[in-house]
Amino acid sequence: MFKNEEMEINLGPQHPSTHGVLRVKLRLDGETVTHCRPMIGYLHRGVEKICENQSFFQGQVWTDRMDYCSAVANNLGWAEANEKLLGITVPRRAQYIRTLLNEFNRIASHLIWLGTHAMDIGALTVFLYAFREREDVLDINEAFCGSRLTTTAFRIGGLREDLPPGFEKMVRKFLAKFSDCLEEYEALLTENRIWKKRTIGVARLSAEDAIALGVTGPMLRAAGVAYDIRKAFPYAAYAEMDFEIPTRTEADTYARYQVRMAEMRQSARIIQQCMDGMPEGPVMAKLPKILRSEVNEVYHATESPKGEIGYYLVGEKGSLNPYRFHVRAPGFINLQSLPKMAEGGLIADVVAAIGSLDIVLGEIDR
Amino acid sequence: MNKFLRTLLPADIAKGLSVTGKHFRQVFFTANRRKVPFHIVSEYPEVPAKVQPRFRGRLTMLKDEQGVIKCVCCLACEKICPTQVITIEKGKQEGRKMPYPVRYDFEMERCIFCEFCVESCGFDAIILNHQFELAAYNREDFSLGTEGLGQNMFEPSHVGKFSVADD
Ligand code: SF4
Ligand code: SF4
Repeated sequence: MFKNEEMEINLGPQHPSTHGVLRVKLRLDGETVTHCRPMIGYLHRGVEKICENQSFFQGQVWTDRMDYCSAVANNLGWAEANEKLLGITVPRRAQYIRTLLNEFNRIASHLIWLGTHAMDIGALTVFLYAFREREDVLDINEAFCGSRLTTTAFRIGGLREDLPPGFEKMVRKFLAKFSDCLEEYEALLTENRIWKKRTIGVARLSAEDAIALGVTGPMLRAAGVAYDIRKAFPYAAYAEMDFEIPTRTEADTYARYQVRMAEMRQSARIIQQCMDGMPEGPVMAKLPKILRSEVNEVYHATESPKGEIGYYLVGEKGSLNPYRFHVRAPGFINLQSLPKMAEGGLIADVVAAIGSLDIVLGEIDR
Repeated sequence: MNKFLRTLLPADIAKGLSVTGKHFRQVFFTANRRKVPFHIVSEYPEVPAKVQPRFRGRLTMLKDEQGVIKCVCCLACEKICPTQVITIEKGKQEGRKMPYPVRYDFEMERCIFCEFCVESCGFDAIILNHQFELAAYNREDFSLGTEGLGQNMFEPSHVGKFSVADD
């Protein structure tokens, strides 16, 4: 009478907890997931191809629109990859300001993650608190470059303008209150028994698996591997900053939460150092009138809030636009680990796994 | 045993509730709510939203003291625009040495407000102003320019009543 059959269902692409248009094909045996395949491509715009047809200067606007939650980090990677390709050295003050904004962006991105991930799992309150602070970070973005989300913050060779008047006050005000705010989020979550039940031991991804799949960022650090490009291959002004790489060894969703919370504290520390040690000087390097590539090929990786974002650019010597452009998007590669984390678990934990990946589909589909 | 006691006493829940309670007290038991520092909600459509001085809003052309359009048709903005939304037609005007834009079309629906055009302009002829309510009822309303009916670059957009348009 009862047929014991596996059921196949689609999670998404319009599901609120898949953070955009991710579709996950699940095969279920009761409530247990036996097979899980993420399906992507709903947001494909062909960013790589478009950038190949535009000048080096214009390409930046597309990097904003890949991972729109961490646009500044994407801008930084793009600008630095291009500077490598075009052979430009950036003034020290510009490097500091870039580092400062990049860390603010990390905070903003992690706050979005915190809010939405907690909401997926069922803790709505944190969302409101996290977005309150994110608002301040977006105001800082707006004060610096005039836009809140799609920032187009940097230019190849430096920055468009110096810091606006009153910027330092905004930053100091934010820093003064931010550690209290972090404590508030932690008071709501860290000890909370429902949160712990939903996250501890859920969606494990061991260090071996993570490395084998190419997973980077907080996902990898929660598995105990202290790999951070800011330390391993310092860029911008990170070589002069004093900060730690938070790691955990449990490799579950709770560990990822702890790593990201600790990273926000470190980001605030870096911002403090940037603000205190801000050198004087110009913010823009001397550039030729028309940007032409100097070398043939570069790959430049930076640590975006989600993981390693790498820009691969091929430019024939003297060309005006990249011959080939490729993005190593952290979300795209981290998403590969979803089957590993979800298979064998419960269907409700798939949502926790997707949330802890911190994906943005704009970047995965590009 | 200890663990069992901790399960009975909802200390973790109380800790979370104390945070929400703190904000609840701060906001709702105060006579003048607007004075509360943590009250971050703004009454937007009634009170115009404040934007930062560098805000990137809609593209506007500037005029000089005599009320003449400053643009001299160097086409730098047209070339640099990543989405190709600016179209300029060069022309002559009586009593002016420099070329004059007979047509300056700006298709706002595709503009991404990146400010590259403003940056490339060596004559300070265009800026992005502080308007952000750019919705319109018809598609034609997005086609702005210096020429034609309902195509005025210098007027605020039809729907945006609330944002400040300061040039
Ligand atoms: S702001 Fe950017 S997209 Fe808009 S017209 Fe200027 S260059 Fe083009
Ligand atoms: S760059 Fe300035 S002067 Fe040149 S065409 Fe554009 S608006 Fe006119």
